[in-house]
Amino acid sequence: MTTSLTSTRHAVTDLAQAMELCFEKGWTDGLPVVPPTEAAVRDMLEAAELAPGEELAFITNRQVAVTAEKVAINAVMAGCRPAFMPVVVAAIEGIGDPRWAYHGPGTSTAGAAVLMIVNGPIARELDFNCGDNLFGPGWRANATVGRAVRLVMRNVIGSRPGTLDRGTLGHPGKLSYVIAENELDSPWTPLHVERGFRAEQSTVTVMAAEAPHQFYNQLSSTAAGLLTTCCDDMRISGNVVGQSQYALVLAGEHMRTISAEGWSKADVRSFVFEHTQNTVAHLKRTERLAGPVEAGDERARRPLVASPADILVVAAGGRAGAFSAYIPGWGSRKASEAVTTLIKDRRA
Amino acid sequence: MLDGILFEKVGVPAAAIVTDVFESTGRAMARSWGVPDYRFLSMPHPIANLTEAQLDQRAREIAPEVVKLILQGQE
Repeated sequence: MTTSLTSTRHAVTDLAQAMELCFEKGWTDGLPVVPPTEAAVRDMLEAAELAPGEELAFITNRQVAVTAEKVAINAVMAGCRPAFMPVVVAAIEGIGDPRWAYHGPGTSTAGAAVLMIVNGPIARELDFNCGDNLFGPGWRANATVGRAVRLVMRNVIGSRPGTLDRGTLGHPGKLSYVIAENELDSPWTPLHVERGFRAEQSTVTVMAAEAPHQFYNQLSSTAAGLLTTCCDDMRISGNVVGQSQYALVLAGEHMRTISAEGWSKADVRSFVFEHTQNTVAHLKRTERLAGPVEAGDERARRPLVASPADILVVAAGGRAGAFSAYIPGWGSRKASEAVTTLIKDRRA
Repeated sequence: MLDGILFEKVGVPAAAIVTDVFESTGRAMARSWGVPDYRFLSMPHPIANLTEAQLDQRAREIAPEVVKLILQGQE
């Protein structure tokens, strides 16, 4: 495969002009980007040992091939270090997977972002934040890897507000929405191991997702107490009747309280599945389901998720503070499901 | 919208309908598929919360346009 870069060259006189050109061309997310010079793009490709023309994803509903060269350009623009490129590549492979089903979550008025959960040793090697200020700014890996993916969506796949990104509200996670699991402090099986990978492998899980919904309880000292608080908040959330997947991000205090009782992630999933169900009568009274309330509707229950397995439990967040978060997925699991892809450590 | 484009590509006449706020999205999809001038129909937004009677009225209003587009084809 050829090693030539095929993207159009633009001549500029200095850095400031290059940054302004990127704004003028509509290539940014509203913040300045790093101008993608040929040398920087080559460094990015080399770090992932990819030829420029290698196809990393094909978005069927858009008829768009996403090549390594275009991903590398956007990774440079986002501010990634070359070492981050394999993570960006894995995330792009994830959103290109037919199970993630790009066109729905990428276009929909529901305004999903791509939640990315990094697992395995690479999360620590590259300093992905899994602790304090989990969803906030301050970590280059978290901020730039997610930004790179969003820039690819915008500049390569065409997901631009008003045309092929019709998010009514969107949310700040559409700038970047990357967390790592706190595997060193967590007593639980890491997410990627639950999803079929080995602990020493590194992965990224992509899920089409709403913003994080924080819940609080510092009074309860029991797993059931904390998770009841979570379920009270969560029961009417997201699409409510769509049965999307959910991520449940348990931070330090809650993680320790819940695990101290011997609860596994499977126990958490089972409890949350049972306690987030609505009666059909309630869903009809509140006009989330159509039709009049009928005999049996008061007892008939509709689970918030189709199965306990649709709750992705992640241990992450600061050590202090009785807060955790649930994150509704987009639409329904049948329309888009979380995908975990291997981060290929091409240096090994 | 995409279904309509795909039907037409295999020679099956089709009429795609969007609500008016999605005209720009429909046009962008048409460009993605290499048929920038693809013809489709539009009706007022929204439709999801209309009553049965309102939906019937919408259908009656747009039915002649559907027939016309299908008979004319994409040209």
